[in-house]
Amino acid sequence: MAMRARQKIRAPRRGPTAGKTDDFEKYWGDLSTSLKKIHTKDASDISFELLYRNAYGIVLANRGPDLYERTKALEKEWLDGEVKAQVTAAITSSLLLAREQVDVQDQANERREAGERFLAAIKEAWEDHQLCMGMITDVLMYMDRVLAEHRKPPIYVAAMALFRDHVLRSTIRSDSETTVYSVLESTVLFMIQLERSGHIIDRPLIRHCIYMLEGLYETITEEESTKLYLTVFEPAFLEASRKFYQAEGRRLLETGDAATFCNIATERLREEIERCADTISPSTESKIKDILDNELIRNNLKEVISLEGTGVKNMLDNDRIDVLQSLYVLSARVDDKKAPLTAAVQKRIVEMGKEINASAIAAAQASTLGVGKKPEPGEKKPAEKEKPVNQQTVAAIKWVDDILALKQKFDNIWMKAFKSDQVMQGAISSSFAEFINLGQGSSDSRSSEYLSLFFDENLKKGIKGKTDIEVDALLENGITLLRYVKDKDMFEAYYKKHLSRRLLMKRSVSMDAERQMISKMKMEVGNQFTQRLEAMFKDMTISEDLTSSYKQHVRQASDPDQKKVELDINVLTSTMWPMEIMSNVKSDKVQLACIFPKEIESVKQSFEQFYLGKHNGRKLSWQASMGTADIRATFQRSNGKTQRHELNVSTYAMMILMLFNDVPAGESLTYTDIQAQTRIPDHDLGRNLLSLAVAPKTRVLKKDPMSKDVNPTDRFFFNHDFQSPFMKVRIGVVSGSANKVENQDQRKETEKKMSEERGASIEAAIVRIMKQRKTLIHSQLMTEVLTQLSARFTPDVNMIKKRIESLIDREYLERVEEDPPTYGYVA
Amino acid sequence: MSSSKSSQPDYVTLVSGDGFEFVIPRSTACVSGTIRRMLDPSSRFSEAISGRCVLENISGVVLEKVCEYFCYNEKNKHQAHVPDMDIPPELCLELLMAADYLDT
Repeated sequence: MAMRARQKIRAPRRGPTAGKTDDFEKYWGDLSTSLKKIHTKDASDISFELLYRNAYGIVLANRGPDLYERTKALEKEWLDGEVKAQVTAAITSSLLLAREQVDVQDQANERREAGERFLAAIKEAWEDHQLCMGMITDVLMYMDRVLAEHRKPPIYVAAMALFRDHVLRSTIRSDSETTVYSVLESTVLFMIQLERSGHIIDRPLIRHCIYMLEGLYETITEEESTKLYLTVFEPAFLEASRKFYQAEGRRLLETGDAATFCNIATERLREEIERCADTISPSTESKIKDILDNELIRNNLKEVISLEGTGVKNMLDNDRIDVLQSLYVLSARVDDKKAPLTAAVQKRIVEMGKEINASAIAAAQASTLGVGKKPEPGEKKPAEKEKPVNQQTVAAIKWVDDILALKQKFDNIWMKAFKSDQVMQGAISSSFAEFINLGQGSSDSRSSEYLSLFFDENLKKGIKGKTDIEVDALLENGITLLRYVKDKDMFEAYYKKHLSRRLLMKRSVSMDAERQMISKMKMEVGNQFTQRLEAMFKDMTISEDLTSSYKQHVRQASDPDQKKVELDINVLTSTMWPMEIMSNVKSDKVQLACIFPKEIESVKQSFEQFYLGKHNGRKLSWQASMGTADIRATFQRSNGKTQRHELNVSTYAMMILMLFNDVPAGESLTYTDIQAQTRIPDHDLGRNLLSLAVAPKTRVLKKDPMSKDVNPTDRFFFNHDFQSPFMKVRIGVVSGSANKVENQDQRKETEKKMSEERGASIEAAIVRIMKQRKTLIHSQLMTEVLTQLSARFTPDVNMIKKRIESLIDREYLERVEEDPPTYGYVA
Repeated sequence: MSSSKSSQPDYVTLVSGDGFEFVIPRSTACVSGTIRRMLDPSSRFSEAISGRCVLENISGVVLEKVCEYFCYNEKNKHQAHVPDMDIPPELCLELLMAADYLDT
């Protein structure tokens, strides 16, 4: 306000109250009557201005503190008298007696009605008090303003504290310890208990009572943390809830149904959240959730998961996605890792995987009886074995299919029920890896072989008539399993073997699919893994070129009258192709090269000349066991007619048949004769003779005596009465030409080879590491070797130790120190 | 502006101790904390019911100035630079007392 100087200032008129202390009693008299009227809701004829002026006057007269105290006393009297009476009147005996369990239904009802009346009374008293104190505070506003300097709490706060002490904390009867508050608490908890057991209660009423507790504080400074709700009610509520959910958890476990547990637990969670929002305070939500998580879920989850008959096992088996999902959600609440659930799922996967393993082995073993031994001459009934062997292959493929189905199933569950959870994914993968690699190294584990067979089967037949997308999906599935196989070198060996057969026998349906497969493997396992496989493909391409250029060469050089033998040749790099195909060595005996018929021999020599002329210094070794031949055979029927058939046979069979060109009709050759003239290895000869003379549809030869075995003394005749509805006859070699599950001996062989190869890999890794590090402690060396090789296989620690020993013996390494054992690299 | 509950008239009457009546918008009158509480509809005092406040200890001259200030305050409450209100110096002490009384 601007003020100009030198002007007369009118003195304020003295207020009527100024300085006259004796007026206090009079003013207070007026005031107190009015205040009482306010309490009895009879304020409509009271002038606010008058009251305010009176209070103002009193305060101006420095009697503010007196006014404050008087008002407080007035309030105390009012609360002690009227309000308390009103509230305690609503307390009936049924509210008091049943602090304990209420099981009797009608008693519960009675108590509930009484409780509602009581809560309503409390609510009304509280709301009245609030309203009246609002009005009184307004009237005494001036007093509050002045007294604030005296560090007195506003009259409103003081009055609220009075309500707390003189209504809530008063005893309901002078002779009893029970306070109004304790009745209130037990009543509210009782109501909640009722609601939890499915009754409908008056939520807004309880909410109002909770508002009251939230509006009252322990101290006069009204700090947030001293709300009565937080200090008194909430702990009681949480404790009651804890007890309730402990019991609930026990009860649900006793019912023994995991699905019910999950549903109820989920439902309870929802209920409690709703309760916090509607009935009590939202601030309690996180705390009650903790209680639920702890008491209901965490303490019981493990048992629920393993419940016999209804637990996770059952859910997985029956694809109970919904239940699994709620179980997952519950688990996720209490444990980031969801350990019990994960463990149960893993356990079930491994179980199911073991079942698949077992059934595959059972299927395989059912047939091994027939094929357990090699069909050496003189052995029992080898002709029966073709079927069982196929069965075994079927078992292998079924194994892969089963696993894929299992994987599909769990992927589905993982996506739908486990919300694509990362931890779960890892767990599921590791379980798959676990059972797939189960018993690795022992003869039980055939996963690598089975998987390779699966690819083989599909690349040979399975993908016929399928679209690119389907083929891709199929291969992708296989690759998924490959990911789980730990000993990838084992798989590589089998795959190489199977692939070589496919390539050499031209059994592959689509080269595109083969290449696709290789590139997929490359992506999955790495370059090194597919190097040799790719080299095999390269060999095949080069061989094609070679064959065509050789044909051209022959056309130019040959004399036209020579009997034409057409040659398709595959030149294979010996290191890249699987060894058992390359070697003539069977059972450690050096086998002499077999003797080809002279027509063939000349072609062979001509090609050798041609090839060596191109590539100097190379050595060609001929693998008759892998070849096939198309020959045209003429059968002189006994009725004088002649019948021609084109026979597609193996090279060995061709050689055998060619012998009969020089044998007069009716004459025979013995087994030993044939062997002497061809030098076909025993094993192969037996098999070929079986397919030529015993296999029912392709009996080009007759055998004497007619039996199912081939014995060295058996005699063979050319069968001129050979009948076939087809012009072209394909004569497969019994066992071996198709890719089948190995028998025990073959397996042992493969394993032996595997371990040799691994030994070499390990040595290479050791030398690589040591060359770089020069000296290294034993344990460190071990770790490095293990990490380097883990992509291909899991090396055996003992094997590494042996390799280190051997390297020391050969003076690549030396022992530098004993403690800790340290090695040095010898340059 | 004023709390436009249908039951509440938009204008209220202020009466000075010597009988002058001033009819001003409710929102304007509520610049004063005292008057605001006096008229608060939730407290059922006679002023709240009748919409008429008799201010016994304020004279008409002062109340006129007070009402002028209420309007001045209401008009300028959202503005940053406000011209000073003209206050007759002879009234200023009484006005100060009124301001204290009315919690303005």
